[in-house]
Amino acid sequence: MADSRRTEVDPITLAVVQGVLSATQRAMTSTMEMTGRSSVYAIARDYSNCLFDWEPRMILQGEDLPTHLGSLIMATKAVAEFFGGDVRPGDVMFHNDPAYDGSHIVDMCMYKPIFADGELLFWAVSKGHVIDAGGPVPGSYNRDAKEIYAEGLRIPPIKIVDRGVRREDVINLILTNVRSRRDQAGDMNAQLGAVTVAERRLTELATKYGVPVVRACVEQLLDQAEAHMRSLIRERLPNGTYRASVIAEDTGHGRGDQTLSTEITVDDDELTIRLEAPEQLDYYTNSYRSNTLSGINAGLMMFAQVQPPYNEGLYRPVHIDFGPSGTMLNAAEPAPHVNCTGGPQETICDLIREALNQADMSSASAGWNHTWCVNLAGEHPETGESWVEILIASIVGGGGAVMGVADGWHSAGAQASMGGLKTGDSELVELLAPIVLHRVEIAKDSAGPGTWRGGCGLTVEIEPIGEEMTVIAWGEGSKYPVLGVGDAHAKIVEPKLARGWHLRDGEVVREVTENGSFVVRRGERYVTRSQGGGGAGDPFERAPATVLHDVRHQKVSVEAARVEYGVAVDPETLEIDEDATRAARAAG
Amino acid sequence: MTYRVGIDSGGTFTDLVAIADDGVVRLHKVPSNREAPAQALLEGLAGLAEQVGLPLRAFIADCELVVLGTTVALNALLQRRGAKTALLATEGHEDSIEIRLGHKEDGHRWDFSFPPATPLVPAYLRLPVHERVLADATVYTPLDEEQAAQSVRALKEHDVDAVAVSFMWSFQHPEHERRVAELVRQALPECYISLSTDVLPRVGEYTRTSTTVVNAYVGPRLTAYMRDIEQSLVQRGFRGTVYYMQSNGGLGTQSILERRPVAALGSGPAAGPVAALQLASLLGHENVISIDMGGTSFDVCLVKDGLPDVVAEVDVARYRVGLPMVNVESIGAGGGSIARVDEKGVLQVGPESAEADPGPACYGRGGTRPTVTDALVVLGYLPSDALLGGRMPIESERSVHVIEAEVAGPLGISVDAAAQGIVELAAANMVEGIRMASIQRGHDPRDFVMVAGGGAGPTFAGLLAAELGIGTVLIPKVAGAMCAFGEAAADLRYDAVRSYAARLSDVEPADLDGLFSQMEREGEEALVGATLTEGGVRVERAADMKYVDQIHHCDVPVPTGTLTDSELATLRERFHARHAQLYTYCERDNEPELLSIRASVILKQVQPTLTSSGSTDAPRAATATTRAILLPGALERVDVPVLAGERVPSEQPVEGPAIIEEETATIAVFPGMSASVLPHGLYRLTVPEAGVR
Repeated sequence: MADSRRTEVDPITLAVVQGVLSATQRAMTSTMEMTGRSSVYAIARDYSNCLFDWEPRMILQGEDLPTHLGSLIMATKAVAEFFGGDVRPGDVMFHNDPAYDGSHIVDMCMYKPIFADGELLFWAVSKGHVIDAGGPVPGSYNRDAKEIYAEGLRIPPIKIVDRGVRREDVINLILTNVRSRRDQAGDMNAQLGAVTVAERRLTELATKYGVPVVRACVEQLLDQAEAHMRSLIRERLPNGTYRASVIAEDTGHGRGDQTLSTEITVDDDELTIRLEAPEQLDYYTNSYRSNTLSGINAGLMMFAQVQPPYNEGLYRPVHIDFGPSGTMLNAAEPAPHVNCTGGPQETICDLIREALNQADMSSASAGWNHTWCVNLAGEHPETGESWVEILIASIVGGGGAVMGVADGWHSAGAQASMGGLKTGDSELVELLAPIVLHRVEIAKDSAGPGTWRGGCGLTVEIEPIGEEMTVIAWGEGSKYPVLGVGDAHAKIVEPKLARGWHLRDGEVVREVTENGSFVVRRGERYVTRSQGGGGAGDPFERAPATVLHDVRHQKVSVEAARVEYGVAVDPETLEIDEDATRAARAAG
Repeated sequence: MTYRVGIDSGGTFTDLVAIADDGVVRLHKVPSNREAPAQALLEGLAGLAEQVGLPLRAFIADCELVVLGTTVALNALLQRRGAKTALLATEGHEDSIEIRLGHKEDGHRWDFSFPPATPLVPAYLRLPVHERVLADATVYTPLDEEQAAQSVRALKEHDVDAVAVSFMWSFQHPEHERRVAELVRQALPECYISLSTDVLPRVGEYTRTSTTVVNAYVGPRLTAYMRDIEQSLVQRGFRGTVYYMQSNGGLGTQSILERRPVAALGSGPAAGPVAALQLASLLGHENVISIDMGGTSFDVCLVKDGLPDVVAEVDVARYRVGLPMVNVESIGAGGGSIARVDEKGVLQVGPESAEADPGPACYGRGGTRPTVTDALVVLGYLPSDALLGGRMPIESERSVHVIEAEVAGPLGISVDAAAQGIVELAAANMVEGIRMASIQRGHDPRDFVMVAGGGAGPTFAGLLAAELGIGTVLIPKVAGAMCAFGEAAADLRYDAVRSYAARLSDVEPADLDGLFSQMEREGEEALVGATLTEGGVRVERAADMKYVDQIHHCDVPVPTGTLTDSELATLRERFHARHAQLYTYCERDNEPELLSIRASVILKQVQPTLTSSGSTDAPRAATATTRAILLPGALERVDVPVLAGERVPSEQPVEGPAIIEEETATIAVFPGMSASVLPHGLYRLTVPEAGVR
């Protein structure tokens, strides 16, 4: 219903176009979820879908996963650049390689250029974590890889559909190199379905409004997002330079904890972020720059707390210096990297958030749990077929508290996903993999104490149904609890850490505190626990009645209430002892 | 003369519709009474009795059928006023309703103030039971009765009103749940008990447990309400039967709902599509897009081949429910939906709503934010002085003021342009909602007629139809009370479900046939004793199907009658086609698999032939007035004729632009469109292919 009085980008058309872009992105996501095969696609939602314009600039990102916030932006540009003029209607590009700005090789991406009136107008892009990308270890988290070549199949930008014709030879090449072929073929179809759904809708949009109007709307949406971020920087961050350092814990390489640093300069309505990091390791926790950008953008969003939808304009006022090539945060070939979208991305997010929290403590966020995951593999007891399962329930942990705003969510992390992942229904998981989930429970005392408390993590207990299963544990969070804000601190630390335990006859035969792989036999169990989220503010400032509520609701033990919050609760009556509480709090 | 009465209790109004034997439809609206719902119902019946010219008692004695759409169950959930409920779960799985799959709902990723949903059962009332069944129905840990009895005793101390029991894989081996139910019954004889194997015997522990918990939570309150209603009516001479609209779009008896109260959660909105279907079928249409625009939302539902689209799993008020519900796509574009310019400077309409209180700014009840209704007032679609046929005064200058302050000013455009923008954006959101309900589920909206309900639904309907290429819109004179009409006209329905995991090529047709027959008998038995005027039984079968290795399914209609290999081949074809419709592709070299099967037994009502609507409108000026209206895309206002409903001549169509005012609805006939009066209390709006422009 355009009329002549309006300019090309009247505010109404703009709002309608943005609405269509959002609905299109949601349709992509629902297609992936409903048609996917592997549990990561169909029940865990470990993927992100995005729309790009002709440049390509990211014009709409949904709410899928924070860990894909930056990597999709860089990857789409790299793929478009690689093909240059060789981008044609009906093409679908494919890629996973971090050397072409992919995040990690298990995130397989599809890129569908969408044309209107013979012009390239949009790209529909889908990034999904596949169950396996080849290499020696099921699931492709190979902690022994010294180089990327030992991690799995690298796919530089290629076409899997060429002007409407599926390149079965190329698809076959990919599927031949990965485990769980049948599932992966199905997941590829799901992803193709998603980008095709987007094409259907966006072509209609272009027909209705015409290419010039759509282009003008895109420019306007980018500009307005930019203006919003500029106003947030100007209003909430005083000019100056803010520095922060965080620890990237040694999760098994043996070279000790590494320190990552940043210096953020606020200049009116712009930010300049400089990163400093040690040399890359011959261990899979290096982050190539597009994954690093995801960490940076996630840290920015924890500060900005912008409402959806999101586009690349938000990041225009932000300048980034990744530092020299060949570091842990700006890794270069042949650095191994597969673990990067979990702990490393989350640690980068912590780094940026910590620096910005110094500039503005109002509504400052604590950290969420860091990814600590188990991949499982084995042979089906009946068919003998090999199976691989990424147990997303093991990743899910506690959300961070937010100063002056809210307690953290229980079981909503990790920081890489912030509620975007799903554990998967326990019965569906047992249908997909020959395992028994004996326990999926909220872990008491795992939450970081504070005036605003973090959320609790989860404990998951698994037993194989077949002869045995291989447990591949990866991630971090077993040495230090999640970062809190302000005077938040934990006194009872152990329950707040990530852990794994191998049980035989109910006895712990191995406590797992770093990346590793173990065989768990029939009758034995593996228990994995995620971290709780960080707290905000002094726990002694938390209202005793609120602490009591947490005790009654089994999130905080009587002992932790006394030690960490200075609140004395009678273990029998579950009532507060006022005098003892006053005394404990006075003693500090 | 006998009557069937449909009653829809909303948050603000209780709508009543009486359909008489002779087909005359009467409508009455009274304010709802949240504390004493039966009171509002009796007041409403008194209003209908007065229209008919009978004393209340005599009128009630003539009502052979009273059907209620109730929000009692939904409100118990929304307002957290349900029973004090406990959960007995397999040890190690007590937390699943608090973990909620580890997911935070979309729309709030970076909104850290968005709170988690409070579990309906707190941790200290979720107690473990030592037992474990595996996926293949083998018992891994036998039920430890002593320990279970101990957990039950612990509940006694907590004085709970309801107990939900949900064990892992219980539907594969229901004995453990049943035994524990006996223990609960012995220890807590007054408690409402809900077993997951009864409520939802299919795979999906989180959904099954959550549904069972919701069932227990709303059970006692809904049961008390239904008994109160029945008693109130019987005391006043009622001899017929009371039925309730269920979420699945069919009627349920009190005894069905006492066992499965969760089936009443979607009771209200489910009636919209049912009404739409009844009206459209008068003209021979079985494919209908039903739209209903209320104060807070715009609800869309698709009816295909005479059956409302039903969804098997949905979050209601943030709680997962796995029983079939009419698949209503609800968009935040109701009359009270708020327009604002967001932080990035882009206009948004909804989902935030001014609801009934304070309502739109023009109501003058303290609303300070512009709503869709305010925009309609500014543009002239609605009168500037009063709504509801003059019964509700409004102040149009307030609408102008808030639109200026909140939208026009920030965007730097005129108030008129801002109001046009709000209407256009609301319409665009509605179009997206209709697309979600149709195209996104594999249906072309151009193959459907639209039926528009709600006060402002008929104002927007023409715009939406033009945009989507829908040629015919039907608008009932009772548009403002379409749900109550749907309740009066609905069929009885019972849904049965069975878990049935098998590759299609392994399915023995006779075996499947036997299961379907069993479920159909179950449904027929549940509906026995129905006193409705029977128009025959209709049976619908469906299967949840997917490709081998897929996890989610789509539902595919299963041929009725005896199943042979040929019907299974048809089923295979239908599944491939459905998958392609929904997701752009199918995999013909892959094997389809069944997950569960469903049978619905529908007892059809004989419908009276609707003759005309006995209007309750206050007498109006004899001549048509005009209003200056700013039409979509127009630069200038034009004087548009405004006709009172009863003055619209039946012999010739009304050409657009025109406005037709019914007491509870405003119909906009846009330029190029025409509206004609049909004999059944309906208007037909004809939308030319070219659209409104």
